[in-house]
Amino acid sequence: MDQVVFESVRKTFRHRPALFNWLGKERGGETIALKDVSFSAASAEVLVLLGPNGSGKTTALKLISTILLPDAGSVRVGGFDARRDAGAVRRQVGVAVAAERSFFPRLSARENLDFFAALDEVPRRQRAQRIDEVLHDTGLEEQADTLVMKFSSGMYQRLGIARALVKRPCVLLLDEPTRSLDAATTAHFWATIRGLAQQETTVLLATHNFAEAAAVADRLLLLHRGELLANRLVGEGESADALRSFYFRTTGEIDEARGAIQRARTAQ
Amino acid sequence: MISTLDKLHAILRRDLLTAIRHRSGFVVTLVGVFTELAAFYFLSRAIGPSFRPGGLEYFPFLLVGTGIYTFFVMSAQAFLSAVQEAQQTGTLEVLMTTSTAPAELLVLSSISAFAGNLVNLLVYLFTGVAVFRASIHANLLSCVAVLIFSLAIALALGIAAATLQVAFQKGSAVLWLLGSGLWFLSGTMFPIQSLPRPLELLARAVPLTYAIDGMRRALLEGQSVLAMARTLAVLAGFGVVLLLLALTGLSLSLRRARLNGTLSFY
Repeated sequence: MDQVVFESVRKTFRHRPALFNWLGKERGGETIALKDVSFSAASAEVLVLLGPNGSGKTTALKLISTILLPDAGSVRVGGFDARRDAGAVRRQVGVAVAAERSFFPRLSARENLDFFAALDEVPRRQRAQRIDEVLHDTGLEEQADTLVMKFSSGMYQRLGIARALVKRPCVLLLDEPTRSLDAATTAHFWATIRGLAQQETTVLLATHNFAEAAAVADRLLLLHRGELLANRLVGEGESADALRSFYFRTTGEIDEARGAIQRARTAQ
Repeated sequence: MISTLDKLHAILRRDLLTAIRHRSGFVVTLVGVFTELAAFYFLSRAIGPSFRPGGLEYFPFLLVGTGIYTFFVMSAQAFLSAVQEAQQTGTLEVLMTTSTAPAELLVLSSISAFAGNLVNLLVYLFTGVAVFRASIHANLLSCVAVLIFSLAIALALGIAAATLQVAFQKGSAVLWLLGSGLWFLSGTMFPIQSLPRPLELLARAVPLTYAIDGMRRALLEGQSVLAMARTLAVLAGFGVVLLLLALTGLSLSLRRARLNGTLSFY
């Protein structure tokens, strides 16, 4: 069964310049973030949204989490419409966004998780155990009782993931989840994602990291300037390099990084 | 119901822990209360005992007026600050993705803000009575009745301020303007009968006027609930209408912010 369904979704952001715009140069007009995008994610599937900055990945995740409403088309999660049944959708979705400071600084990691778990209606008698589990999964056990104002950006990132997991969502949304993580924690996190999929959680992960996409994806959506350019399965063992080639071939962009590496090798 | 109480407990605990860990904040509040009351005490002495607005001594008149006014404005301000802070730190978007409906979340948060300000009000009144010898003849039942209806109005004001913040990111400016107007028109420092007739009529349309007048009569004159029935009915009417308007406005502004993608703008 499809857990997440996007049907012809369009989202435009309008920019209205300030009243006295002649004092500055604020841009007017509009940005089309998503152009008639359609896709679906099955139960227990890890779907990676790959694309450069500004391609519409975060907008897609925000539409699923009901932070944003679509201008046209429909978004459904677990059969519920995100516009009409936003409450039912939010009960099924866990969100780990890249906002590092989205915690209460004078509460500890455990207190923050307890607060958000209460708002997510996790039963009180299950809360302590679940919090211990997610702290373990994200490697934050030793920092559990430290005020989060003392956390590094990597620890915030891990806590954001822990917060999304504590409600045991049917659909997990991750926006550049390993951006600030070290290599060991990243590898552990990728294994956790695969484990979640085996427990029937649908995962949608936005990234521009080819290694991450290759490590966790069952299927790949390639977004570019708000358009869905590709929607395809990722083969077992398909490498980051293969995905990289596919990306540049499909988007028509020039792989400047690869050119620079080759030039450096030639110079040596 | 259990889930709502559990959420309220979580929000109260969060705010209490944050307040306790801001150790200096509590001391600053106490010093501020003492200084303000000392200023009012000496002001009333300078004016002299012959000035008795509504037949009341001036210092207790000021004590109740400024106490209730501050409770109102600080409650709305605390609520607005919570929304602004959540926008600036990024918690607002995350809070809006939890299983709790936005309106429920905002109402529960406001209850927590009011609980803190209620403590401040009680400290303020207690200091006025215990340290500066303000004479009171309280009817507790009437005091509680006035406070409950006033809470509903303050809740509506807080939600309205949050609505303006979400819709236009200008909640502070509007609240400052509203606060100044309320201070001037609600009989905080002087009886509204001193105002020119058109302004007096305007003052009678301000709910805070009835809250302050009601609390003075309940706390300083000891009037019974029956004697204050008309004032209580007016307060209840204001509370119901303003709450409905504020909640409708909040729902519309949240929907607009979700359409425009401006929920976290500040």
